Amino acid sequence: MDQQRTLLDLSPDESAYIDKLDVGMSTCKLLNLGVLPKAKVTMVRKAPFGGAYYIKLDGYQLAVRTEEAATIILDKQI
Amino acid sequence: MKASKINIALLGNPNSGKSSLFNHLTGLRQHVSNFPGVTVDKRSGTLRLNNGLEANIIDFPGTYSMYPNSSEEKIVINILTDQTNDNYPDLVIYVADATQLERHLLFATQIIDLGLPMIFVLNMIDLISEQGDSIDIKPLAKYLGVKVIPVSVRNNEHLDNLSNEILEVSSGLNHTEIPIKYVFTDVENFVATRIQKNLFTPSLYSAKVIAHHYKWLNHLDDDQKAKIKVITEQSAFNDLNLQVRETMDRYNHFAPVVRETIKVTKTQHKTLTDKIDDVITHRVWGPFIFFVIMFLMFQSIYSWSSVPMDLIESGFTEVGNLISNNLPEGWWTDLLVNGLLAGLGGVLVFVPQIAILFFLISMLEESGYMSRAVYMFDIIMRKFGMNGRSMVALISSGACAIPAIMSTRTISDPKERLITILVSPLISCSARLPVYAVLVGFVVPDMDILGVFNAQGLVFMGLYLLGIVGALVSALAFKVILKSDSNSFLMIELPNYKPPLWKNVFLTVKEKVSSFVVEAGKIIVLISIALWFLASYGPENAMTEAISKAESVSVEKNLSDQDRDNLIASYKIESSYIGHLGHWIEPVVRPLGFDWKIGIAILTSFAAREVFVGTMATIYSIGSDNDGQTLRQKMASEKRPGSEISVYNPATSLSLLVFYVFAMQCMSTLAIVRRETNTWKWPIVQFVFMSVLAYVGSFLVNQLMA
Repeated sequence: MDQQRTLLDLSPDESAYIDKLDVGMSTCKLLNLGVLPKAKVTMVRKAPFGGAYYIKLDGYQLAVRTEEAATIILDKQI
Repeated sequence: MKASKINIALLGNPNSGKSSLFNHLTGLRQHVSNFPGVTVDKRSGTLRLNNGLEANIIDFPGTYSMYPNSSEEKIVINILTDQTNDNYPDLVIYVADATQLERHLLFATQIIDLGLPMIFVLNMIDLISEQGDSIDIKPLAKYLGVKVIPVSVRNNEHLDNLSNEILEVSSGLNHTEIPIKYVFTDVENFVATRIQKNLFTPSLYSAKVIAHHYKWLNHLDDDQKAKIKVITEQSAFNDLNLQVRETMDRYNHFAPVVRETIKVTKTQHKTLTDKIDDVITHRVWGPFIFFVIMFLMFQSIYSWSSVPMDLIESGFTEVGNLISNNLPEGWWTDLLVNGLLAGLGGVLVFVPQIAILFFLISMLEESGYMSRAVYMFDIIMRKFGMNGRSMVALISSGACAIPAIMSTRTISDPKERLITILVSPLISCSARLPVYAVLVGFVVPDMDILGVFNAQGLVFMGLYLLGIVGALVSALAFKVILKSDSNSFLMIELPNYKPPLWKNVFLTVKEKVSSFVVEAGKIIVLISIALWFLASYGPENAMTEAISKAESVSVEKNLSDQDRDNLIASYKIESSYIGHLGHWIEPVVRPLGFDWKIGIAILTSFAAREVFVGTMATIYSIGSDNDGQTLRQKMASEKRPGSEISVYNPATSLSLLVFYVFAMQCMSTLAIVRRETNTWKWPIVQFVFMSVLAYVGSFLVNQLMA
């Protein structure tokens, strides 16, 4: 059985579609910011000192922490 | 029909251009106050409609949805669910970014479901055509059921249409029922209906919002809260899942509408923001550029302000001389020149520095750079028990701790927020600038190092660094001491870079400078007058005794007229009330290298730091007859009694500087901390730890250098 792919598995400049969000404290906030199932997300870069990621969605940019990125589950096919 | 003035609320997500629209609509007819019971800035203003009517327009804090995370957003929800609130809107102007329509629709549809009349302003349409996309507002207007006005606030496009629409809608605010957009589940329906019966909410949806948030809604009493608790628990109302369900449901419904409204012609090239961020948030260049920006910022505050400051300072000296030469001598001339004018000059001389500081900080905010700093330094801030958002507070503390502490409302984790509040005042604020500016010259001379850096500028920089180190070390200590219950997250939008709107920058600077002049000015002028009195009068007979004693000493020593006058002046001030007070405090401050005059300045500075300079000005203009000299010249010529050692020698001056870096000398900040933390405990903790830090730091400096 293969592992779920999360945002953390993307390397810089790689894109994927979001499958679902692991419901938790951060879910509503992510939804408010437009991080939705079926949305296309691109990993841009890691923060200078680590701990956070610069990601791009349809026409806008977000910063998320590692823990938050881990709740974003990606579609299996690339 | 309500009383003549209607309330119009400006609502929208952060970065929707809401505040720019507010500035456009109200111009200078705006003011800042607080929402009742909380210290959230409430920017409100008067909107003159063409028919002569006036509307009260309120710029609400930017909000993403009815399910808020920050305490600032919670205030918005509190008002929107409370019809009896004074700020409850009669009409909502909802501002959305056309390029981010999907996200910005979420909150709009929720407000419509609350039953509030709305005008939907689709902002930034200029960017849509710039991107080569096209727009058709009809499907959107049909879906929302409210008037949609496409505008560009930045380019001043179609704003007339908006004014006309406001006029039309507000002259006949009749409810046209719009069917609710969110389809309730059975549980939601059951719970909301029961709550609506109990509270008479204006809509079923607002009852549902109350069901989610009743625990922290402050317009509900304990009785009501208890009832709602029972209702929600009996029906197994799953708060989190239902929030997610509602949000997903809304997105699913309006996603097709968005696709019909904005026809995107996909272009996959790098945007300007992408290119800038390749460098600005780069793993190596990013932090480097950040420090260069900070360095340049404080260098420019120091160098740009020196000319206007000198002008203001010498201007006040001139006016003082003019008055004292032309008015008959008497106590009120003395009060005017040495009390009032000295104090006033002490306030106004800092206007250039404060204006430059706020100008630069609002440029950082407006351009979108601030959120990059949040992103880059989040992990480091977390190591110190804070949040990336604390960067905003710490940087704005460079201007003033009060707005900085208020900006911590965006931090959702209570511990992170508290630590940020506690350490923010250690970052050198603009009120310390005056003290630094006066004293730095006594520590190092005005010279260049390596031909580029100004030596005094470097000491300045060092003092700021000392404040930053103090803040971080204290934060670390609090991180260990305080208990944690984590609700911490980063998730922040990194908005597209845009050139700052000058109108916004200008209004910010104007507002901050005038509040400094009025608020700090009131205290400083009052204290200056009080000081003048305390320094000019003394306990019965003490003053006359001092004068006769001074006269006999001068006869004995055969002093010149001028020396005799100086001696009388210094005997007088020593026997005045303030002299007594100063001698009483002297044993405490002597180990720090301070004399009783500095002791008095420190005492009065506990009201506000910038009072230091006013106090010095008052004490020295009464204590000497070297009129026509600036305060710095008077201080430079001050010698320790019976010796040739300057009072303001490097050791004492640096010790005093370090004291001001650390000491908690600002009543307004303590008051704000009290309001933000809702208890006296934290301002007291803050006052004590900062005072100890100041005393110990100052003591060490003086002992090591002397």
